[in-house]
Amino acid sequence: MWAYSIRRLLYNVPVFLGILLFVMGALRVNDPIYGFLGKNASEEEYKAFQEKAGLDKPFWLQYAIFVKGVITFDFSTESWDQPGLSVGERLRRAIGPSLSITIPALILSTAVSVVVGLVSAYFRGQGLDRTLVFIAVLGMSISFLVYIILGQYFGAYVPNRYFNREVFSIHGYDGWSQLNLPVDWAYYCLLPVVISVVVSMGYDTRYYRAVMVEETGRDYMITAQAKGASKPKVMFVHMLKNAMIPIITRVAITLPFLITGSILLETYFGIPGMGQTLISAVNAKDFPVVQAFTAVFAALYILTNILTDVLYALVDPRIRLA
Amino acid sequence: MFYRRLIAGVLLCAHLPLLAGCSFGTASEGESELKVLRAPMQTDGPKSLDPVRSSSVYDHHCGCNIYEPLLQYKYLITPPTLEPLLLAEMPEVLEEGRIFRFKLKPGVRFHDDPCFPDGKGRELNSHDVFYSWKRMADSRNLPKSWWLVENTIKGFDEYRKEQNAAADLDGAFDYDAPVEGMRIINNREFELELNESVPTFIYKLAMYQLAIVPREAVEMYGDRFGRHPVGTGPFLLSEEEDWQPGLSMVLNANPNYHTSYYPEEHMPEDVAEGLTRAAGKRLPIVDRVEIGFYVEDQPRWLEFRSGSVDYITVPAEYIPTAFNKRTKTLKAEYRRQGVRSAKVPLLDFIFRGFNMEDELLGGYTPEKVALRKAICAAMDWEEQNDAFYNGINIVYDGMIPPDLDGYPKGGVAPNSYRGPNLQLARQLLAEAGYPEGKGLPPIEFYTSRGGNNQEQVEMLARQLGKINVELKPHLVDFSTLIASVDNKKAPMFAFAWGSDYPDAENNLALFYGPNESPGSNHYNYKRKEYDKLYEKARVMEPSPERTAIYEKMRDMVYQDAAFAGSMARTRYYLWNPRLKNFKPSEDFFNWFKYLDVDDDARQKS
Repeated sequence: MWAYSIRRLLYNVPVFLGILLFVMGALRVNDPIYGFLGKNASEEEYKAFQEKAGLDKPFWLQYAIFVKGVITFDFSTESWDQPGLSVGERLRRAIGPSLSITIPALILSTAVSVVVGLVSAYFRGQGLDRTLVFIAVLGMSISFLVYIILGQYFGAYVPNRYFNREVFSIHGYDGWSQLNLPVDWAYYCLLPVVISVVVSMGYDTRYYRAVMVEETGRDYMITAQAKGASKPKVMFVHMLKNAMIPIITRVAITLPFLITGSILLETYFGIPGMGQTLISAVNAKDFPVVQAFTAVFAALYILTNILTDVLYALVDPRIRLA
Repeated sequence: MFYRRLIAGVLLCAHLPLLAGCSFGTASEGESELKVLRAPMQTDGPKSLDPVRSSSVYDHHCGCNIYEPLLQYKYLITPPTLEPLLLAEMPEVLEEGRIFRFKLKPGVRFHDDPCFPDGKGRELNSHDVFYSWKRMADSRNLPKSWWLVENTIKGFDEYRKEQNAAADLDGAFDYDAPVEGMRIINNREFELELNESVPTFIYKLAMYQLAIVPREAVEMYGDRFGRHPVGTGPFLLSEEEDWQPGLSMVLNANPNYHTSYYPEEHMPEDVAEGLTRAAGKRLPIVDRVEIGFYVEDQPRWLEFRSGSVDYITVPAEYIPTAFNKRTKTLKAEYRRQGVRSAKVPLLDFIFRGFNMEDELLGGYTPEKVALRKAICAAMDWEEQNDAFYNGINIVYDGMIPPDLDGYPKGGVAPNSYRGPNLQLARQLLAEAGYPEGKGLPPIEFYTSRGGNNQEQVEMLARQLGKINVELKPHLVDFSTLIASVDNKKAPMFAFAWGSDYPDAENNLALFYGPNESPGSNHYNYKRKEYDKLYEKARVMEPSPERTAIYEKMRDMVYQDAAFAGSMARTRYYLWNPRLKNFKPSEDFFNWFKYLDVDDDARQKS
């Protein structure tokens, strides 16, 4: 397993370097300094900034410096948009708030969706199944933004304004060190988590139902039933175990996005996470942050892909890592 | 308290429908004694609190409560009028306006900070003033506003050149090197000599970029100085952690703030508004300011309506919710709740510019002028105002925004050709040699992507289409827009200008020949007569004679049709009954120190 992982890692090094090269090139197509300094910047200011940002160096040297920084986890370059803060500091500050939403949301939405998928498959073709599928399709058809706007209005504002109950925060977040878990977490994060779960349930339920339905036709299901296992046992023990590969695949695909957070949720609920940091950096043309963010995301994506393959082998003895 | 909330939290997690019975207010009991002002800002936060690096209005809004320049605007007085802030009196003006002599107010101390011996803020002196201004000259500080003092103070431009050259060689920028026009008389008095008399220079002394900083803090905090402000202002940032980008900033009252009182001087209408009740109170009045940063409008609005923030600039999409559509007065429901409102016009100049050097659209011949006027006459600014700004902006002729000397009466210039006037537009088009638009190539129009610019371009294309003028839009990113305008490649472009100080000179400079692209004269407008008038007016004190010159310059550019426009935004402020002494202004932002809060009023409402 270790040999396989290391080999896959080495195979992916050129891919990763290629991604960095592409991103660095793409970010320099339009002069990032002009975009950042604005229309009143003088030639002198331009040059001073170019020198400070290291963009006066040849491209290959900039590339080498950036790659070295990524390899050594050195993100000490100063953020353009938030002078005085390094890129690393900005990303480090933002990861916690993002994870405080995305991890609970992933766990909850996966658990609920798998159960609903199973139930739906169990009652396949019956009224309950049709109702659940209808709800899932309806959920998928509504924009994420609508959930957020309505969720914020009815979940946070209405109880506060009309019932004098400050159940959820409309906007805001307290640092982890100050959070009075789990109460303050619930105050700031539970509503965004619930919205996130509701949104993803539509997609996840449909997917997991399809997986479960496919499994119901397998030979081992008939064998288990022939041996006298009850239908719930067949569904929730035998079938669930065999459906782990697609579940792992779906969860693994989501893992890199735990770090990136959710732009919409974070900007609406005032959670200073990675999504908000990224969109703010993009809007402000904060070139070093966007560059570093892309590198981190690409690395995570590659790592989770490898992790997924390893997990396949762990849960399914038929798969061998070669 | 904790257990009640904990139980509520567990219940909430276990069974969501129960949440109607829970309450998770987060203010701790000890803090409820403090007077806390809760201010929202429509931004993800300031970028830097270093005055020389600040550029956005949000940098100013936060920073000017921590740092102070020499002068400020009188809080209750309109039109904006200057008064001393860090000075004992207004500067003495000598040598026909070329020399300013200043005397610092005694007892002004910097915030307590570890950069000072024993952590105790020392008294402000004359050296601090010149040191702070010299930081504008140091390119390594990436100053955003050198233009404010460029070609103004005697010897300052030369000092900048020499010191930056020296810094490039050996890295040393000598802040102690003399500048001919900066003279220290003693620790509390100093003199400034300008190259020539510039009456508008005094406005710059009230600008945040020229605020005073202590050398010790700059040297101690280096690159982090912008996040670790040490000023003389009424509020201070106690810990760096009190500023969380994208979320909030907490400012605490400065216990050592120099003796300042709520003003006695006021406008007649202020009495009825209750703005005079706090006269004579020591500033700042509140103990803490919690500034929330909001990127989206809905949470900002909902926080205001739930009373979690004290005031709001009403987002455009909520104007119809709060105000009667026709009269733009506050709805009865809001008035009953004690909510109050104010309308604050901005010193804006929103326009569509023409490159006067462009082969097709540029030039000063009657045909070229007629072509540009035809385009202007076909445009309907009111339609744009209604569609994109809920009709709250002010449409006017010329480049001088409302409330400034030189603004045309009623916003209409003599011989106005403001659209929509399709008959006039067609006639002018024919005079330009393009009857019914025949033979006229498409007009290349550059604007930036983002916001509703795509929709605005579509509206403009439709309006010009009515006289058979075809628009060829280029929706580009901002850097490309700047490059296209700076390189004189954009025949027609969309920009906006916000005045830096309340004097039309700031806007008239946009058409001064020597400022041509890549300078601020993006139109590349060049008329010797205009330039002479500008040079004359620039050194004149405000007077009817100067106003007459401003009007002449305004009409000259307007009749040459160097731009199509104009429009100025209006901000609508609402505030909850909890907030007292509020007289919103967009001309200056250091008004947190005058505000008070009354929690009893909130409960009653």
